Amino acid sequence: MFPVFYVAGLVALVSTVMVVTRRNPIHALLYFILSLVAVAVIFLDAGAPFVAALEVIIYAGAIMVLFIFVVMLLNPGVALVIRAREWIGPAILSLLLTLGIVYSVVGSTIKTMGISATTPKDIAMALFGPYLLGVELASLLLLAGLVAAYHLGRRIEREAPARGASLQPGAPVGSGAPSSRKEGA
Amino acid sequence: MSSEQILALLPILVTSAASVVVMLLVALKRSHGLVFGVTVGSLLVALAAIGSSVSVMPQAVSSLLIMDRFALLYIGLILAATLAVALLSYAYLESRAERREEYYILLLLAAAGSEVLAAAGSYVSFFLGLEILSISLYGLVAYRRQTPLGIEAGVKYLILAGASSGFILFGMALIYAEQGSLQFAALAAAKGSSFDVVSLVGFALIVVGVGFKLAVVPFHLWTPDVYQGAPAPVTAFVATVSKGAMFALLLRYFIQLDLYQYGAVVLVFGIIAALSILAGNILGLLQNNVKRMLAYSSIAHVGYLLVALLASGPLAVSSVTFYLIAYFITNLGAFGVVGYLSSGEREAEEIDDYRGLAWRRPWVAGALTASLLSLAGIPLTAGFIGKFFIIAAGAGSRLWALLIILVVGSVVSFFYYFRLVLAIFREPDAGAQVPYPSASLAGGIALSVLTLLLVWLGVYPAPLVNLLGGMTSGLL
Repeated sequence: MFPVFYVAGLVALVSTVMVVTRRNPIHALLYFILSLVAVAVIFLDAGAPFVAALEVIIYAGAIMVLFIFVVMLLNPGVALVIRAREWIGPAILSLLLTLGIVYSVVGSTIKTMGISATTPKDIAMALFGPYLLGVELASLLLLAGLVAAYHLGRRIEREAPARGASLQPGAPVGSGAPSSRKEGA
Repeated sequence: MSSEQILALLPILVTSAASVVVMLLVALKRSHGLVFGVTVGSLLVALAAIGSSVSVMPQAVSSLLIMDRFALLYIGLILAATLAVALLSYAYLESRAERREEYYILLLLAAAGSEVLAAAGSYVSFFLGLEILSISLYGLVAYRRQTPLGIEAGVKYLILAGASSGFILFGMALIYAEQGSLQFAALAAAKGSSFDVVSLVGFALIVVGVGFKLAVVPFHLWTPDVYQGAPAPVTAFVATVSKGAMFALLLRYFIQLDLYQYGAVVLVFGIIAALSILAGNILGLLQNNVKRMLAYSSIAHVGYLLVALLASGPLAVSSVTFYLIAYFITNLGAFGVVGYLSSGEREAEEIDDYRGLAWRRPWVAGALTASLLSLAGIPLTAGFIGKFFIIAAGAGSRLWALLIILVVGSVVSFFYYFRLVLAIFREPDAGAQVPYPSASLAGGIALSVLTLLLVWLGVYPAPLVNLLGGMTSGLL
């Protein structure tokens, strides 16, 4: 039990540090996928196979693929060719992760760490039983995110000429207000 | 859910349903007036629903929400403040060439999230309520997305609020790992006379997240920039509803878990309160921008509120609530005037914008002056009575050091409040006069009601004090 947790935890930590420190967004995203898969392995090891599957399907699968597409569409200038030197790191980490999974499957020690496994049925019963209200609240949360993203992401229309007047750089600010806008990948 | 539970939840249900109705309405027909009317109407209905919810109190709705008199009181306060913000927003949005309707959806959702926070009885609803509030606020703070300052404020708020949510979530996970429950009540039953290390770390992480939302001093760095960059009515919302909801949760948490018995917790909050009062007031002195000045003043005011929170005893809950109500009215009034005078694409936020206001717009000047006097705690305003209650509660619990800091901080704050009051009553410049927008009916009504309440609470607070005594004694 513990070897798997420690290996997966180590992979998660190392790959997350790599996400933050990479300069090439595609490399960072590769490490990010690895980090999410490592977290999924931890979930699996902790007896939550359903959450582990969701982690892989939703985060590593859907969201990261979206990220990669967006980066590829927005940043054609970045070198998208991945040479051996750059994929060797993720490969070693994935290998470690695979060894961990193989070890736990061969040793049949899934659902360890002293916790009984949580089945999809348990989760469904909790979500639509005592936490039904929580599910409804989460839907409000998504609605808020959707409306905010719609408003902020909409194309700025050419409208009243008064618009440009407020854009002069000398807008009144106090101590250190601007200047944090220069950051970016 | 039983019908009693649905009845108890009615204010939250009405607010949430209203956001969906407004969204559908926007999909059918974009009309600012219609959306504004539906928003105001549904907020009034939600306020009226509180009356019917009182009959089924107290009611635990599943394990997540506790609808007791305390929760209803704060929900009422949140709804009333949101109503005031909506009224003040109409003219503000009308004068801007931006899409206006989404604003009201986000405003209603933010109010719903705050209501959930005020009624939260478990970490699950605490976190969900907090996130609904925060995510709606990201959109609202960055609503003026064509201005660099608005976008900067939105990004700052997004990153810092996201980080603080991460702190809270990790703290909850640690507490859950150690205690095995997410309910405040179960935690209260299980706790011993001292925290173990894991729970202590978890609790400390939650304090970081809560401190961010309340903008108390080690976690206040976002406040001035966000207050400045957000539209003035949204700034009023962030300063009042968002903080008030978090304070309601903190109050319930403190009392339910009886955190007063832990010396370390009281010490930490005491230090935070002292730092907030001193830093807020001293940094407020340095500001020439009215929104930034009010931001620092709000940091100091949360410090005062923490002093009342730390004063345990029967007076604590009602003195915190009274001060919070006074703070709501005062800040809504002050930021309301800033929004009321902001024309077209610019905000009336420099002190020079207010020069000679008394000669040009005597009624608005009166409202702003009353708010500033109340913030300073001058007699005959709600702020004075509030401060009086805090000092009485603090003296009852012998928090002398904090009280001395509070008095020193209040004296320092006079300087910058009166600087603005002085500017209001100075002769206007003959030449360069800042144009003010024409008066708006909705904003005018909101400002007059707020000012009347402010003076009424300062002159005759007895009815509210009695009401609070009855309401807050029903905590749990």
